[in-house]
Amino acid sequence: MTKKMMLLAVLGLVASPMLFAQDANVAAQSKAWAGIGAGIAMAIASGLCGLGQGRAVAGATEAMARNPGAIGAIRTMLILGLVLIESLALYTLVIVIRGSGLLG
Amino acid sequence: MQETELWLTKIFNDYLATPGNWFLSMAGLPHQARPWADFIVMQVLVMTILVLLFAMLRGRLSADQPGKLQHIFELIYEFVHGQTEDQMGNGGVKYLGYFGTIFLFILFSNLIGLIPGFEAPTMNPVVPLGCAVATFLYYNLVGIQANGAKYAAHFVGPFWWLAPLMVPIEIVSHLARPLSLTIRLFANMYAGEKVTMVFLSLTYFMIPAVFMGLHLFVALMQAYIFMLLTMIYVAGAMAHEH
Repeated sequence: MTKKMMLLAVLGLVASPMLFAQDANVAAQSKAWAGIGAGIAMAIASGLCGLGQGRAVAGATEAMARNPGAIGAIRTMLILGLVLIESLALYTLVIVIRGSGLLG
Repeated sequence: MQETELWLTKIFNDYLATPGNWFLSMAGLPHQARPWADFIVMQVLVMTILVLLFAMLRGRLSADQPGKLQHIFELIYEFVHGQTEDQMGNGGVKYLGYFGTIFLFILFSNLIGLIPGFEAPTMNPVVPLGCAVATFLYYNLVGIQANGAKYAAHFVGPFWWLAPLMVPIEIVSHLARPLSLTIRLFANMYAGEKVTMVFLSLTYFMIPAVFMGLHLFVALMQAYIFMLLTMIYVAGAMAHEH
């Protein structure tokens, strides 16, 4: 990192309390962002989960095509892997459900 | 506090409030006007259905002329037995009872949520937590029973001098197992129901049925995955160090 970028970073860090200071009705303003935060969090989690599952399925189908004798074992491994990756996106869903008031 | 009740819960609360309060007082909780909760009544229903099914099966077992019920249960048994042999060879067959029980209980609990008028008990986070804690205790007990005091060697890792590093990591990862089992089952069931409800509030025509079909598939998969993970944990616990 060049010296200019370092200087800018330090200035940003020092100035951040002034930049992000909020006025009196903090609670009401923050609550409005819960929905947006929930949406962004769920989108990131689902997107990355989709990428991971895509790679899992790609590897599994290629292995099954190369070695048709091992289809049973590969299928078991594929299902197990998909569910474990899915559960990572579900942890985010649980936080979204509990944290924002969206889904009750 | 529940705003609405299922019709079965209403029957339980109207006629069986006193035994319900007796259960509550056994747990040290104060008496309530309507003690039976939805998920408790649904669990009792699932339990009753399973017991009745197996009682009916027991009366009709026959080696020469197997009936339809026997064929279905033979399929289920072969499935669970096959998975057990895949995971832990022949020594795991004595644990088949627990795997089959947890599979059938979670399967029926998930499926009963699809019937209108009933609710899946696994939608309430307490029920998957109970199953996960039971599994946690079970695989630790199996490890202690199979390996004796050497079960603690599992937590140490490959080398004895790595113990101060490995033991906290292993303990945290072992504690993460019931947590992940609980959240996976609860979140899948809850999200499936909520998504169906959201689409039902948007349109009545065909789209909610698609999501309900997806929820059915997910219900089957989650029961299978819970059983598979239980088997993997038990296999890891009873593994003899070479």
